[in-house]
Formats: sequence, structure tokens, C-alpha cells
Amino acid sequence: MISKIYDSQAKGNQFVESLMAFWQYRQLITLLVRRDIAVRYKRSLLGLFWTLLNPLLTALVLWVVFINIFNTKLPSGTQFAPYLLAGVLLITFFNQGLTQAADSIALGSGILMKIYVPPQVFAFAGAASNALNFCFGLFALAFISLITGDGISILFPATLLVILFMLMNVTGLGLLLSIAYIRYDDTRSIFAILISFMMYLSPIFYPKEILNPVMLAVVNANPLTSFLDVFRYVFSNTGNASWADWFYMGGFSSLILIIGISAFAKAWPRTVVMM
Amino acid sequence: MSSTPVIEVIDASVSYIIRHGASPTLKETVIQSLKRQSHDVEVKAIQNLSFSLNPGQVLAVIGRNGAGKSTLLKMLARVLPPTKGRVIVRGNVSPMIELGAGFNGELNGIENIVLYGTLLGRTPKQMRQRATDISAWADLDESINLPLRTYSSGMVARLAFAIATDIVSDLILIDEVLSVGDAEFQKKSRQKIEELVKSNAAVVLITHDLKTVRAMAHKALWIDHGRAMKYGDVDSVVDAYLNA
Repeated sequence: MISKIYDSQAKGNQFVESLMAFWQYRQLITLLVRRDIAVRYKRSLLGLFWTLLNPLLTALVLWVVFINIFNTKLPSGTQFAPYLLAGVLLITFFNQGLTQAADSIALGSGILMKIYVPPQVFAFAGAASNALNFCFGLFALAFISLITGDGISILFPATLLVILFMLMNVTGLGLLLSIAYIRYDDTRSIFAILISFMMYLSPIFYPKEILNPVMLAVVNANPLTSFLDVFRYVFSNTGNASWADWFYMGGFSSLILIIGISAFAKAWPRTVVMM
Repeated sequence: MSSTPVIEVIDASVSYIIRHGASPTLKETVIQSLKRQSHDVEVKAIQNLSFSLNPGQVLAVIGRNGAGKSTLLKMLARVLPPTKGRVIVRGNVSPMIELGAGFNGELNGIENIVLYGTLLGRTPKQMRQRATDISAWADLDESINLPLRTYSSGMVARLAFAIATDIVSDLILIDEVLSVGDAEFQKKSRQKIEELVKSNAAVVLITHDLKTVRAMAHKALWIDHGRAMKYGDVDSVVDAYLNA
């Protein structure tokens, strides 16, 4: 049993309490993630493979369209197929994780208005289940990397760090979006555009080598670019990730998580009544 | 009684803002703030409410539709924080604000027992051990292994009720759920609540069935427009409500 005494006026550090909630409700989080995977599995004959099929097909379409244009532009030794799939997988994690984290709260009034569970727990579970999907996708990426001759780097365990930072990033941003979605109906479409800006301004399917200096600066300023650079570097040793990329990725994610959790805890009491 | 109250509500209010007219958009908000005009209306769902409830006591909350009864229950369930004043709830709470909230249609009965129980703060392991007893109490037989979307609404209600009352909580919150299901289930669920009250659980009960109120409650609270109209002895509160 959790939280024996509820005092509406109790003052605590809301950031620390939210982090503690992730730990206290770890069994619920595990259950929610498993339910997510199980429900997805039951819904279609292809099951889990379907979750994988989506990024694979997206990657396939992009590959067919762009192979002739971009193949020669990549740094030597880098194959287009694994480059592309790595990008699509990580961006799917970001995009779908963000949507699921935000909607688990914004569309969660069925549970949130009836049973007390810190809502942050649902956002985290939504992000975590997409982290797990990403991990399944890594098997496909490993396969493609091996057959194209790109191989897998001995640094690949460091992919765990990329996953951890993306999880923080998605949870923090998801919490912020959920508040916006509940408060203002039109923010959903505004953020959809902003998110797709962020995605197109990162090297998912194009190599950075094709960009002019101005666009390169813009793309490099995008935190997703650092995620992609580091991920490709640690997984298949392609491209180069500098320490600056690591710091940018880690720093940005930590900051977003802190801002997301703190702002959410502050705004939630005035937001929940609008559901 | 010298025991510590399970619930203490001290001068608590819940209010919220509804934007006038169309659905709230960022565009409207920006335009309004530029024009320095506001169409916001403050709704006071609960106003300056105070009461307390001891273990083993049943409080019935009565009042017309829209009086704020459900908002009060949500405040006690911790999902709606009071805008003003203070609410203290000591112990484990079994909220039955809507039977079946938190269930998943694709999962079977057993999986839903585990999920719902964990949402209520128990552990998946505890719930797996209790699953057989819970399903037996809810009379689900073989249906327990079928996806929940195949259940009738009565079966869903029985299952949710069985899970929420499976362990003795310190506080049970009931919003009209004793009037769902057939006569037999109504009788059975009422008996279950009475058992729990005997083992010292406090109950807050919302119902329009004044016969139930007179039969089960120890105290009654009549609210209207979020304000307490009368609070205290059941018969006098119910009579006052009927004569209003």
C-alpha cells in the first residue's frame, strides 16, 4: 500500500516526490508497459512484428526513394540502409513516445479522475513502452547492419545511455505537452507541426554532408541531431559523435526532465479540474 | 470515540474556471488577453465544507443532481485537490466512483484483477493470489479467462466491486454503485459493505436512494450548490432534504 496519509496542504519537494513516485509505482509501470505490449500483440495476427513493421516499412520507402541520391553523399564506409533505419527507429521512439506519454494523461480522465495514481507515472510508462519497442527494433537494425557489411561497434552497449536520455527527454516533453493539450484544444495541432519541424531538421534520412553551412548550423543545434549522431556512432561506429554531442544530449534531456516534472507538478492541480 | 478520524475536511472549497462559449483554445486566450476582456466564469463546485468521519462510520451525502456530490467524492479520493482549505485522509482508500474505470477490454478477467488492484495500490503478486477468490465472489466462472469486452455491464460491475472490496480499506468511497446490477447483486454488495464497516472501515456513500441512506448511514450530509445545507443525524437531514 502506498501513501498512508494524504494531506492536501502537505508541502514537499514536488520534483523529488515525482521521482519517488516512479520508484514507488514501479510495479504498476511494469504492468502498464506489459499491458501495452500484450494488447498490441493481441490486436493483430502479426502481433509484435507489426510494431516493428511500421518503422521497417517507413525505412524501406525512404530507402527506395533516396538511395540513388544520398548513397554517394554519405561518409565512406557508411551504408545507407543501416543509416536510415537507425534514424527512423530513434525518431519513432521520440515521436510515438511523446504522443503516448502526453495522451496517457491528456486522454486519461477515465482513470485519473477516479483512482489516485500520480499522473506522471502514466507518462513515464508510455515513454518506457516505446523504449522497449525501440529495443526490439535494434534486432532488425543489427541484422541490416550485418548484411550490409557495416557491422556492429564494440561500443554498442552504450546505446543504453542513448535510450535512457531519450526516455528522460520523452517523459519531460510529454508531461509539458499533456498540460498544454488539456488546457488549450488547439495546441495539439500547433505542437504536431513543431514536432515535425524538429524531425525534418535532423539527419534522419539525409546525410549532414548535403547541407549548406547555415542549414548545418540549424540542424546541429537540434538536440535530436546529437541523439542520432551518438546513436549511430555507438551502435555501428558510423559518422562521428563528439563529446559535445554527448553533453548536449545528456544536458538537454536532464534539463527537459527537470523542467517537465517541476512544471507539471505545479500546473497539475489547476489543470486536472479542466478534464 | 477517541480514534483518529479517517477523514478531516476543513473549510475546503473546489472551484474551477470554465471559459465562456466555445472550447478553450490558445488562440482565443491570446485574443482575449490582448483585448483585456475575459469570458471566464468561476464555478464553485464545493464551498467551505467542513466535516470529519471516524473509522466504522458511514456518511451518506445527499443532494440534487449537480449539487457537488461527485466533486466531493473526487476530492476525498485525492484526484481533485481542494482549491482552498484542507483535506486529510488517513489510510488506504478504495474508490468506487465508477465501477470499471481502469479496466482494459482486451485483457481477460484475471489480468484485469491484477491491473486494477495494482492501480489501487496493491502489488501484482497479492492480486494474483487473490484472483480466484475475487472471481468466485463476482460469480464469473469460466468468463474470467475471456477478454473483458465480452462481459455484460453487470459482470464488469461485479468484478470491479469484488476487487475494490477484496481487502479491508480504511475508507470506501461509493458513488451510486450500490444501485447497479440485479437485486441479488445489490443485496450481496450491501452485505459486503456492512461487513467492511463492522471491521472498522469508514464509508462515504452517495446515493439518491433515501431508504438505503436511512438503513445504512450513521451520519448524513446534504449539499446544494456545493454548500452544506445540513449535516448530522441521518433522519433529521433526510427529513429536511425531503421538505426542502
